[in-house]
Amino acid sequence: MAVVEINNVFKFYHDTEVEVKAINGVTLSFEKGDFAVIVGPSGSGKTTLLNLVGGLDQPTGGEILIAGHRLSELRPSELIDFRMDHVGFVFQSYNLIPVLTASENIGFIMNLQKWPKEKRIARTDELLSSVGLSERHNSRPSQLSGGQQQRVAVARALATHPEFILADEPTANLDSKSAESLLDIMEKLNHEEGMTFIFSTHDVRVMKRAHRVITLEDGKVVSDEKKE
Amino acid sequence: MKDYQLAWKNLWRNRRRTLITAASVFFAIFFALVMRSFQLGAYDRLFKNVIESYTGYLQLQQVDYFDDPNLDNSFEIDQALIDQMKKDPNVNDVVPRFESFALAAAGSHTQGVIVLGIDPNSEDKIMKISNKLVKYKLTSETIEKLRNASIPDHTKKLLDVFSNEAYSSEASLMNDLGISDEDSATILPVIRSHASFSNEFLTERDTSDVVIGDGLSEYLKAGVGDTIVLMGQGYHGTTAAGKYVVKGIIKLPAPDIDNVIVYIPIETARELYAAPGMATSAVISLDSNDDDDILQTGSRLQNIVSEPMTIKKWQELNALMVNQMEADNRSGMIMIALLYLVIAFGVFGTVLMMMAERKREFGMLVSIGMRKRKLAKIISIEMLLIGFLGVAAGVAASLPLVFYGNIHPLRFTGEFARMYEDYGFEAVMPTMLPDTFYLWQIVVVLMILVIAIIFSTRKIFRMNVINALRA
Amino acid sequence: MRSLIVIAAVAIGIFAGVFLMAAMNSSVVQRLDAAVNEELSHIQVNNKDFRSSADIQNIISDYPRVVAALESTPGVTKVTGRMIIRGIASTATKSSGVEITGVNVEKEKEMFTLSGKLIPGTGSYFETDTKFNTAFIGEKLAKELNIIRYIITPEAITSLREKGIPSNVVSKVETLQGQRYTSDKKFVKAYEKILAPGEIKKYGWKIKEAAWSYREGSKIILSFLDITNNQTGAAFRVSGIFRTNNDMFESLSLFVPIDELRQLTGMKEGTFHRVIARLEDNDITDDATPVIREKLADYEVLNWKEIQPDLAMIADFMGQIYAIFMIIILAALAFGIVNTMLMAVLERTRELGMLMAIGMNRRKIFMMIMLESIFLSIVGGFAGMAVSEIVIAITGKTGINLMKYSEGMEAMGYSAHLFPTIDAQFFVTTTILIVLTGIISAIYPARKALKLNPVEAIRGE
Repeated sequence: MAVVEINNVFKFYHDTEVEVKAINGVTLSFEKGDFAVIVGPSGSGKTTLLNLVGGLDQPTGGEILIAGHRLSELRPSELIDFRMDHVGFVFQSYNLIPVLTASENIGFIMNLQKWPKEKRIARTDELLSSVGLSERHNSRPSQLSGGQQQRVAVARALATHPEFILADEPTANLDSKSAESLLDIMEKLNHEEGMTFIFSTHDVRVMKRAHRVITLEDGKVVSDEKKE
Repeated sequence: MKDYQLAWKNLWRNRRRTLITAASVFFAIFFALVMRSFQLGAYDRLFKNVIESYTGYLQLQQVDYFDDPNLDNSFEIDQALIDQMKKDPNVNDVVPRFESFALAAAGSHTQGVIVLGIDPNSEDKIMKISNKLVKYKLTSETIEKLRNASIPDHTKKLLDVFSNEAYSSEASLMNDLGISDEDSATILPVIRSHASFSNEFLTERDTSDVVIGDGLSEYLKAGVGDTIVLMGQGYHGTTAAGKYVVKGIIKLPAPDIDNVIVYIPIETARELYAAPGMATSAVISLDSNDDDDILQTGSRLQNIVSEPMTIKKWQELNALMVNQMEADNRSGMIMIALLYLVIAFGVFGTVLMMMAERKREFGMLVSIGMRKRKLAKIISIEMLLIGFLGVAAGVAASLPLVFYGNIHPLRFTGEFARMYEDYGFEAVMPTMLPDTFYLWQIVVVLMILVIAIIFSTRKIFRMNVINALRA
Repeated sequence: MRSLIVIAAVAIGIFAGVFLMAAMNSSVVQRLDAAVNEELSHIQVNNKDFRSSADIQNIISDYPRVVAALESTPGVTKVTGRMIIRGIASTATKSSGVEITGVNVEKEKEMFTLSGKLIPGTGSYFETDTKFNTAFIGEKLAKELNIIRYIITPEAITSLREKGIPSNVVSKVETLQGQRYTSDKKFVKAYEKILAPGEIKKYGWKIKEAAWSYREGSKIILSFLDITNNQTGAAFRVSGIFRTNNDMFESLSLFVPIDELRQLTGMKEGTFHRVIARLEDNDITDDATPVIREKLADYEVLNWKEIQPDLAMIADFMGQIYAIFMIIILAALAFGIVNTMLMAVLERTRELGMLMAIGMNRRKIFMMIMLESIFLSIVGGFAGMAVSEIVIAITGKTGINLMKYSEGMEAMGYSAHLFPTIDAQFFVTTTILIVLTGIISAIYPARKALKLNPVEAIRGE
């Protein structure tokens, strides 16, 4: 079963008087273990597509399915919980709560789901070590480098065992070294645990490491290449 | 991580803003509390002075007397009724009085006066007037003598400020002349020897003696031992005239009364006005003077008493003062309301700024799974905490001032004092200890916060996550 | 957006402050005018012992000399002499202590506006020729002596209808027709029994006004001591009743033509207790007083400020009270301004850094922030002052009626009908304070801006 199915999805919206066709008929599907990247020039609809896939936005036309569930059939309150269970988000920046430490940030989402204390602590430690930041568990975001912050973000995104992780330009603010480290970890997670990753990016470094490159232009898929 | 813990942490990410906003709340609360405390303290004192030296909290009167305070509306004493009233659990005593107006003359000085016929023992028990007999007087001779006596210089300087003052208690003498407790042992005897005033109150055996107010004594130039003549209109229009000897001089804190009062034994008054066995009012003294107790006792007594008698409460007896105080009270409240209004804007401004600044963060939180409701709750707690900080600080800062002002009321001197006394107010400003008015200030701040909370909560619920993320 | 909030806050704060002050100020101004024009005039000359003991013997024996001294002083427009004794006024049922003032009727009319305060329909200021002794008394005293009645006459009913009182209310009032009520309170009690609370609130005072009745020429007895300290007295007819806003004055003051009083007391012709002078203007009081004092060193010379120092004090203090009040409001506003400016500085860190990098010197940046803050305050302040001007102008004409507190206020001598008015001076003070607030609020944020390191600032938050 596909992890994500995008069936003939359209997204139009009105920006003042002009109608913008952000997504103009996209059909895609992603399987478990995909390490895919969506590329395209600014305005091609990358972020919009990711927002739709993540359930943050509703398509004007077409259907999106995550793990077989139609998003359109979920009530708004169900959608919120559904997202928390099935989708992990990593943003370009502002991923973390500034007043909390790394482990508190990771634990935060488990708190929202009311996990018991021991389980939460155990999972947090596990995640921190899997992103290689165990010694920084007590640091606040302001005390971490950009790359480290993004790693914590990934750890947090993984906390609730989502089906896949959506990352919107995660390396945009990072230097090469940090970007490489981040990608290393993500690839490791993808390889060892079969975590599905869907990125949007401009970044060549990311494109190089991707196993699948989808190109968007004017809201349409113009190419979909799998690399081995 | 509990919600309030996160809220608390959030407060300190922008320390300056949090502190400035809390400081503005602190400013408003502190100022409001201190000002109200002084204002309410002054009113309270004013009322107490008049009530406890003159009108009492409850009075028994003939039903027409209140609207028409005329001897024709006096009543005959009904001992049975009085006994019945005394059975009430809160009633201590019921003391009849005979009060009227007269022209007092001493030598060639004349003044309109209130003649208050009293039963010396019972009246003294409930009004404690003998305590207010003048004990010390700083006449010009006294001051001359004291200047040459062995007392500290700063006290000597103050003698001029308080020349011609009369004192019924050592405490106020010490207060005015700046004599501390330690010095009192050495200084007071000196002052006593020069400034003491020999004085006595009325007893039931007196028939032609009177006790007059210090202000009146000054005006008529009549001291202890002097004779004054009282002339007035008696019962049913007869002429009333009589000669009396001043037995004592009293200092009442309410200048309005101090300047015109003549205490006379009730039998003598009845004789003077040709109204045997009559009384114009009876003061009801209570065991407890709590607001609620007064009200309830008043209603209970009203049920016992029937036409043509009635029970009057102190608010009615001092209706004019109540009216004046209300006006002043209102104007004070308006000013404070204005202050809070201004502060409210400050708080709203802060809320707006804070929401704008954290837009991206809010978007992120909601998209990773935080319910908007929870987010709104955390923000609300943040605001309540800031308010609480300001309130707590304001209350704490106000307490020392309020407590000090209660024990050592602000005392005016010189022209300012004269002005106060001309209007009939004692020239002091005490404070009122924390009472419901403290709660009111807190309520107001809470209301401001509630509005801010409603506003921010709406904004959060209206937030479009995607736009927020893009902010 | 947040600038708007700050401006709005300042505007409201200033408006309210100015308006409140105008209301209080007008109250004081009215009182002052009344005191000078109705009660005291400007200068009083007494025998040195007169005020400390009101002894009929403490007279001004050399009246012509005193008058000459006053009239020769620049600024003095009118002079008159009075006789003053304490006594009791009584009717069949009531009595009250009064200060009886013997006056020269013609001169008094020139110097005091009191004759103009006559309640229409109650007579005149000593204009009727009569063989009886006559007295001009205040409404409060008349009420105390039960001279004033409340009667619902047919004329009263008609006037109520004319005033637009609804007919169902008028019919209820009609049931009281013909009855006489000897006091305000009794009448109020009577109509409280038959009218609904809402009706009482709305029409109560109009009904009282219509029923107010006084029989011209009512009689009172005045008793006092004569020149030999013997009690004496006589019957007087009330010539007219006056109404002012000062209850104390109304209840204590009673005016009688001086010749009548002389006859009764035995005071010699040409002797007076007090000589009063009127000046051109309130403002020359302080200059004129010492001049007069020098000439009349053997008498006590007082001006109105000294007679009622509380009044003078309040008038003087008004300016200070206002400043303090505004300072408190502005301090409260300052918090908001500081927060806003701080936010502005923080938001524009990049921009500021850039400006500093390209060479804008610190001083200019400081001034820039300072000016912005002043601008916020001034816009808000002027808006507030403009609105307050308008409201003051409107209410200055229509007046604000604090009926609820009229009893208390008039007892202290203040009118309960306020006509807000304010000196231009207040606006000047306000503007200065506003600018100061803007400056002070800007200091902290401006210093923060100066501490920014341009390079870091450009790099972004």
